[in-house]
Amino acid sequence: MHDPIPLSLLAPGQCAEVDQVTGHPDHVHRLEELGLRSGAAIEIVQRGSPCIIRLSGQKLCLRADELFNVLVRCVATN
Amino acid sequence: MLERPPLTVALIGNPNTGKSTLFTALAGVRQRVGNYPGVTVEKKVGSMRLGERRCELVDLPGTYSLAPRSPDEMVAVDVLLSRRGDVAGVDAVISIVDATNLERNLYLVGQVLEMGLPTIVALNMVDLARARGLTIDVERLREQLGVPVVELQANRGVGVNDLKRVLAESVDAPAARNRVSPFPEAFQRETEHVQTLWSRSDAKSENGREPLPRYLAERLLLDTSGYLQNTLTSQAADARAGEELLAARKRLAEAGCAVPAVEAQCRYRWVAEVLDGVVTRPSQRVEIVGDRVDRLLTHKVWGTLVFALLMLLVFSSVFIFADPLMGMIDEAIGALGGVAEAALPPGPVESLVVDGVIGGVGSVLIFLPQILFLFFFLAVLEDCGYMARAAYLMDKLMVRVGLSGKSFIPLLSSFACAIPGVMATRVIENRRDRLTTILVAPLMSCSARLPVYAILIGAFIPATTMLEFIPLQGLTLFSMYLLGMVTAAVVALVLKRTLLRGPTPPFVMELPNYKWPSPRMVLYRMGERGWAFVRRAGTLILAVSILVWAASSYPHNAAEVDERLEPRREALETQLAELDVSSPQREGVEEQLVEVENEIAAVYQRESILGHMGRAIEPVVRPLGWDWRIGCAVIASFPAREVVMGALGVIYNLGGDLDVGAASDQDRLGARMRAAEWDDTGEPVYNVPVALSIMVFFALCAQCAATLVIIRRETNSWRWPVFTFVYMTTLAYGAALVTYQVGMQFF
Repeated sequence: MHDPIPLSLLAPGQCAEVDQVTGHPDHVHRLEELGLRSGAAIEIVQRGSPCIIRLSGQKLCLRADELFNVLVRCVATN
Repeated sequence: MLERPPLTVALIGNPNTGKSTLFTALAGVRQRVGNYPGVTVEKKVGSMRLGERRCELVDLPGTYSLAPRSPDEMVAVDVLLSRRGDVAGVDAVISIVDATNLERNLYLVGQVLEMGLPTIVALNMVDLARARGLTIDVERLREQLGVPVVELQANRGVGVNDLKRVLAESVDAPAARNRVSPFPEAFQRETEHVQTLWSRSDAKSENGREPLPRYLAERLLLDTSGYLQNTLTSQAADARAGEELLAARKRLAEAGCAVPAVEAQCRYRWVAEVLDGVVTRPSQRVEIVGDRVDRLLTHKVWGTLVFALLMLLVFSSVFIFADPLMGMIDEAIGALGGVAEAALPPGPVESLVVDGVIGGVGSVLIFLPQILFLFFFLAVLEDCGYMARAAYLMDKLMVRVGLSGKSFIPLLSSFACAIPGVMATRVIENRRDRLTTILVAPLMSCSARLPVYAILIGAFIPATTMLEFIPLQGLTLFSMYLLGMVTAAVVALVLKRTLLRGPTPPFVMELPNYKWPSPRMVLYRMGERGWAFVRRAGTLILAVSILVWAASSYPHNAAEVDERLEPRREALETQLAELDVSSPQREGVEEQLVEVENEIAAVYQRESILGHMGRAIEPVVRPLGWDWRIGCAVIASFPAREVVMGALGVIYNLGGDLDVGAASDQDRLGARMRAAEWDDTGEPVYNVPVALSIMVFFALCAQCAATLVIIRRETNSWRWPVFTFVYMTTLAYGAALVTYQVGMQFF
């Protein structure tokens, strides 16, 4: 396992796992309801803001802002 | 045998799971759409038969979670807990889930199951899951979930009958409900504590003994936003309940179940248990056609290009297809008017029916083809999953004015007509974003403004070029459209910083899987929106048109006409009667007769209430460079701006039935306007600054009663249409004033 990095640093196509989502508890709760939670497999499809992520079978469009932060851990690919 | 009382079944699910498609497949066209009082949520109720029994199907708004943080989100919870007086107690729930993403979908199912109602899980999009290489052990899912699961392909109607059968079985023999809570002991203890606390203080429970539902007690603990506490405390007498709640949360945090985080932890743990061994994924993600299409459509350059082309195609076809139909409606209305004119004796009744009722209703119906076509295309794009991609592409642009990408399509639609634009804002979940979009949508230059621009530009803007290559007329037209857009951007920014200021939740939007649109769904949505428009707008427009008709026809002051014009008319008529049918003089006399008749109409209008109003407001509109005639025409066009050309036609003795689309009529009106003079000084009324000030006024003013009625319907309050009217009229007046006064410095 690698050290956690911000989601924005993830390269497209690289597989990772959500380490933690930080921010206001209410906002984090909302994101968790959508499936963005610790342990979920995540992948960047389109970078930028808004970015597109693939999250266990679904695609989400996500605007990067100061309201929340997603830290991910790269999964070693072989 | 007496028929048993009708059942009530609620339909719930995540957005983009095919919930509306299933609803239409179950209830067909027997649906009633309305609003829940006090909120902006649509109330959709349909009916179907379950064997022998009648069944009411309630479509709840699509949601990812039953965690109410606003009155709109509270609706679904209240319906499921039978706490709403306007919906009968729910007997069963159909929870529709997307088979390609069971994990997230079951989160909501978990919440629904806690309500303790007989529940059926409708496993939709099984075909898509198969295409993705997922294998789902439905039998095992049924077992581990403990409720019936039915496989479904709602857009093709596959499995709908199975669903009905299972539904009938489960309401007849409700299984024993012994729900295991996903929450740890400590949390359950606190839930019971809150439940007794709130039930004791609940004033209603004194005699009714209706304790707070367990689910709401849970939510009270979990909802740290304070919304639910405020809502429920209004009926609670115990002032200490609030403190107790804080204490309970503190105890939970100490016990290692901090709210609200504990909910996601526990529910996803439950989901993992339920899904254990149910879904088998391929070792490598299966790339389907949709993925490749999506890469192109969300590409920053190619995707944007495709989007631009698509919008161009949609809007040009709206105009191309709607145009002949609009012409037909126009002709039919004219023919109907002719029939009524022939059937009724000349006089006030004839005038009321022809000009007031038929003319008024016609001015609404004429927009129907545009609305239907626009909604056809929008429904197709939405149903196939493209809309979210468009919102993604446009988000960067819209975020600069404080909105999100979801506001783009409604605003773009408003260039055709603000009514479908306002209706299309339903896709925006954020209430403040939605309101802002609704309030600025009427600023987009709609198709009814185009004739006004066309005539004034044709008559007063020279057909020359600026800097050798920019045609001045085209530039003026473009500026009018630009003016609307820039004003909308500024107003949106101001609104989001003042009246509609508030915390912006993180912007997260699902990009649903692509699928073939369901024709039934598309047609249904088209019909529904069209009918809503005709019904709501039609009634008010009718009333207002009659008012305007009355104001421009009364008092029927005949003194001047009788004295000066009537003898001339009679003389001409006699002359015409005496002339031989083939006489070459005939044409000239006929022309004179029309001229006199038009002048009579003009005199009547000048002496009518509207004419008096026009003269009364002349001091107000004089700073804009307008005389009372323009004032009159502007007043008359407040219900519907396209009326202005007809009104000007009457005022300038051309008769009211000008065809504003016809170039020849535009030229005739333009010529009359160029010749118009001030009553007192004899100087020409119109010059370039006056023409510009009128155009600017029309570009910004809220002259469309139908739009205001639709805003009322969508916002569920008269406050917002009134606000729209006031701010737009004020802006229009100010901008026209500046245009004229600044313009006069240069001309």
